[in-house]
Amino acid sequence: MTHVIEVSHLSKRYGDTLALDDVSLTLEQDTIYGLLGRNGAGKTTLMSILTAQNFATSGTVRVYGEDPYENARVLSRMCFVRESQKYPEDATPRHALRSARLFFPHWDDDLAGELVEEFRLPMKRTIKKLSRGQLSAVGVIIGLASRAEITFFDEPYLGLDAVARQIFYDRLLADYAEHPRTIVLSSHLIDEVSNILEHVLVIDRGRILMDAPTDEVRGLATTVVGPGDAVEEFVVGREVLHRESLGRVTSATILGRLDDDDRARLAAAGIDTGAVSLQQLVVRLTQRQSTVEPQPEEARR
Amino acid sequence: MNRTLNVVRLQFVNKQTFLWIPLIVLVGAFVIALLVFSLIPADGPMYSGAAQAPLWYFAIIGSQALTLTFPFAQAMSLTRREFYLGSLAAAAISAAAMATVFTIGAALESATDGFGTNGYTFQLPFLTEEGWWVAWLAYFVIAMFFFVVGFWGATIYVRFRGVVFAAVLVGITLLAVVGAWLISRMDAWPRVWQWLADQGALGLTGWAALLLVLLAGSSFLTLRRATP
Amino acid sequence: MVGEGRPLFLQIAESVEDAIVDGSLGEEERAPSTNELAAFHRINPATAAKGVNLLTDKGVLYKRRGIGMFVAPGARELLLTERRTAFAERFLDPLLVEAARLGLGPDDLARMIADRARAAQRPTNGDPR
Repeated sequence: MTHVIEVSHLSKRYGDTLALDDVSLTLEQDTIYGLLGRNGAGKTTLMSILTAQNFATSGTVRVYGEDPYENARVLSRMCFVRESQKYPEDATPRHALRSARLFFPHWDDDLAGELVEEFRLPMKRTIKKLSRGQLSAVGVIIGLASRAEITFFDEPYLGLDAVARQIFYDRLLADYAEHPRTIVLSSHLIDEVSNILEHVLVIDRGRILMDAPTDEVRGLATTVVGPGDAVEEFVVGREVLHRESLGRVTSATILGRLDDDDRARLAAAGIDTGAVSLQQLVVRLTQRQSTVEPQPEEARR
Repeated sequence: MNRTLNVVRLQFVNKQTFLWIPLIVLVGAFVIALLVFSLIPADGPMYSGAAQAPLWYFAIIGSQALTLTFPFAQAMSLTRREFYLGSLAAAAISAAAMATVFTIGAALESATDGFGTNGYTFQLPFLTEEGWWVAWLAYFVIAMFFFVVGFWGATIYVRFRGVVFAAVLVGITLLAVVGAWLISRMDAWPRVWQWLADQGALGLTGWAALLLVLLAGSSFLTLRRATP
Repeated sequence: MVGEGRPLFLQIAESVEDAIVDGSLGEEERAPSTNELAAFHRINPATAAKGVNLLTDKGVLYKRRGIGMFVAPGARELLLTERRTAFAERFLDPLLVEAARLGLGPDDLARMIADRARAAQRPTNGDPR
């Protein structure tokens, strides 16, 4: 595997707030990453520093081994689709796509045309008169048709309806299968995207809480439901992410895999187990961060 | 290099911004001036300020090239240097076109006595008496100057936002007021006017070009650390 | 379609196995490609590839160069054997545990199963299964 991006000890401070706090990570070639976290967790800041649109307070970023700042060689291999992208005054989608064709070396005009049809994007209306969903579609089309070696999508689906979002996910997968590249998809609609992600990065309050292959994350937490006493006994010594009770029944979400012994014990005690979706896991992990002193090392295990 | 040239095309992608609107502004102002001239009985030659109108528009384009096109250029994965050089080149092309239109307009006016009205919009003796190329250069530098002022102001605004931007504006105004006050104090106005007259069109164009270069340079340094 | 909890590539491999076991995907027939699986299940192609690799390692699928993946001869028998063993582990073992708790021996269970099967067949003969 080739590292396309290496980030070490990256921090970004805006006045009193620490938007990124000692972030270190590497991104591999030809992988779809999910950058997951709540609004304001630092997702956009991270991506804009990786694309040299913003500046780090400390730490280093290497893209293809080089500093991306004012580096046309490296920047031309990346595309960053912002959630709130600004366009030139009076520009129409046609202008935006024509411009993108000028700057992205792998631009595919046919693909762009097909996407315009599918998203039903009015090409001659000025961008400032587009609906929120149509505005998002302009960004999505640029991101897909640019076929940049590293493409960042920052919450690309705002205002897109369920049908349009599905078009985006399907097109992304189909095009990725034919033209593998590195894709970073920032999202808080985690359930929708979890199946297309190969690797998950969870960020909260500027810190990376989890950096793991999606397959490993699946089954990383389990919900156990059963008689209160039995559940309490079972969870002793385990990390409980969440706990709630209704009458004598307790439901607890625990971190860590269950082995065969555990399953036998649970069955014997009359405790049911339930899978925890990626979305639930991220929610629980970020909630834990806000109540307990952060322990990122533990979460990464 | 290729990418920088493409920034020029990016700025021109929407032909309205750099071509049609300034032309409409110019033609509109010119026609109005012509109407006014034809209504006023002429004793001697009259001069209108209509040529200013498209120049002000250059300041607006300059600021929009930054506030709106800069974030888009960043999304197109351009470096700040590529964006800066390409935008200035686009402005230079527009300014050259504008200067050519003005010079031709001036030639037509002097050949037809202001289209028969004895009123002049482009043909300003102060500019044309040193030769047509001086007039062209003066028009070009003035148009570029307006663009760069808009561009420079917008860089300050984008980089530092409201408070610093306001402080800079207040600072410049204060400087101008203090300068004027000092000149008045020293009863130096006649000398100032004399100096300006001594410079002639070419000399003043040179000074404007110098100021233009300073502003352009400082906007580049500001832009290097600006975020979209 | 695809559930949570277990690694996705296992679920993908199982979906192909299901088709082989129920006969809808015959031996020596072309199996769905990685990209087809990814598009159909709307999952990452790398995950689909992992599922397909699992099946080739097991000997259920094999690769014909330049053409694609095919179902190996004997794949159905292999899967049936594997599933019968898994069936015993997954269903019979917990059944025996619970039965013991209720004081039912293996013979009682056998009798109960036979009765139930007969009862289930009678009224719902129209059931396609």
